[in-house]
Amino acid sequence: MKFLDTLFEQKSRQLAQRSSRRGMLKGLGTLLVGGAAIPLLPVARASAAASKPAEEGDPNSCDYWRYCAIDGFLCGCCGGSANTCPPGTEMSPITWIGTCRNPVDGRNYVISYNDCCGKSSCGACLCQRDEGDRPPYRSDKTNDVNWCLGTSSAVYHCSTAVVVGVAFED
Amino acid sequence: MRTSILVLSLLLSTVCAANESAWDKAHFNYQMFCQGCHTPDGSGANSVPRLKGHVGTFLQTEEGREYLVRVPGSATSSLDNEELAAVLNWILIEFSGDSLAENYEPYKVDEIGRLRRNPLNEVVLYRSKLLADIAHRGDAKQ
Ligand code: HEC
Repeated sequence: MKFLDTLFEQKSRQLAQRSSRRGMLKGLGTLLVGGAAIPLLPVARASAAASKPAEEGDPNSCDYWRYCAIDGFLCGCCGGSANTCPPGTEMSPITWIGTCRNPVDGRNYVISYNDCCGKSSCGACLCQRDEGDRPPYRSDKTNDVNWCLGTSSAVYHCSTAVVVGVAFED
Repeated sequence: MRTSILVLSLLLSTVCAANESAWDKAHFNYQMFCQGCHTPDGSGANSVPRLKGHVGTFLQTEEGREYLVRVPGSATSSLDNEELAAVLNWILIEFSGDSLAENYEPYKVDEIGRLRRNPLNEVVLYRSKLLADIAHRGDAKQ
């Protein structure tokens, strides 16, 4: 069955490639939001890249600003860092996302709490702040689940807190 | 003459700023509500299907078009109809690659509102049937 699915998927993908001349319009980035066609300048895309904020505080301490919605062991205390997994573990592509306010510039940033997986629980620096955690009736908005999905091992070791963008504010 | 050019360029830059902010807002909502499962570049992993280079394929049929809205990740998200329309249009532009036809119709707000009232329960089989239909349609045309 899996094989069939993959086959159909490939097929429809090839077809799609043949039937569409390379995206002229799309290349210009025509964006339709809420019913009005609006052209988008390439500059807009460049500025969307996540910028590295100025920071202060101790990334191995639970009160560090990026940990506002974390629930787990801090990778910084486990041989990794707030951005990287300890050697011998693998970062999960499926992750829990939140926003935290950076006290240095007062802006809110999008934080991705990617879990590191493949070794048993690190056990050091347990940090449960869960600010902004919502009730667990929706799987995408609770951090109290094992996010070791998409990795070769589902064993949870520790959590990172990577800045992936600036929160949008009107 | 001068003033009208000035007014025009002011107008244009306001329009561009508005676009930029609509784009950024859609990207932000994708990050907050979808990216955790769908990954930053739409590659997905495990049971989360790859949007990248493929998602536009579904717009080849009406059912496929409806599917992208009725899939639980879209339909039951806490985004309102306008935000969901913007995020889905953002996904189509950002991730489709060559899978999106040039003359595609972006999603409209009222369309989203209508379709998401009817979310899918059983996705996996439904999805493979959709893709099979799309592939067969292509065969018939050749
Ligand atoms: C909790 C994880 C999760 C979140 C969060 C999530 N999705 Fe999904 N999404 C999935 C899974 C898993 C599938 C595969 C179909 C299924 O099992 O529901 C999917 C499928 C899809 C599909 C169909 C793609 C295909 O090729 O079949 C679309 C479109 C989609 N999601 C859009 C969204 C949007 C838009 C959001 C955010 C508003 C979102 N999803 C949030 C897990 C998620």
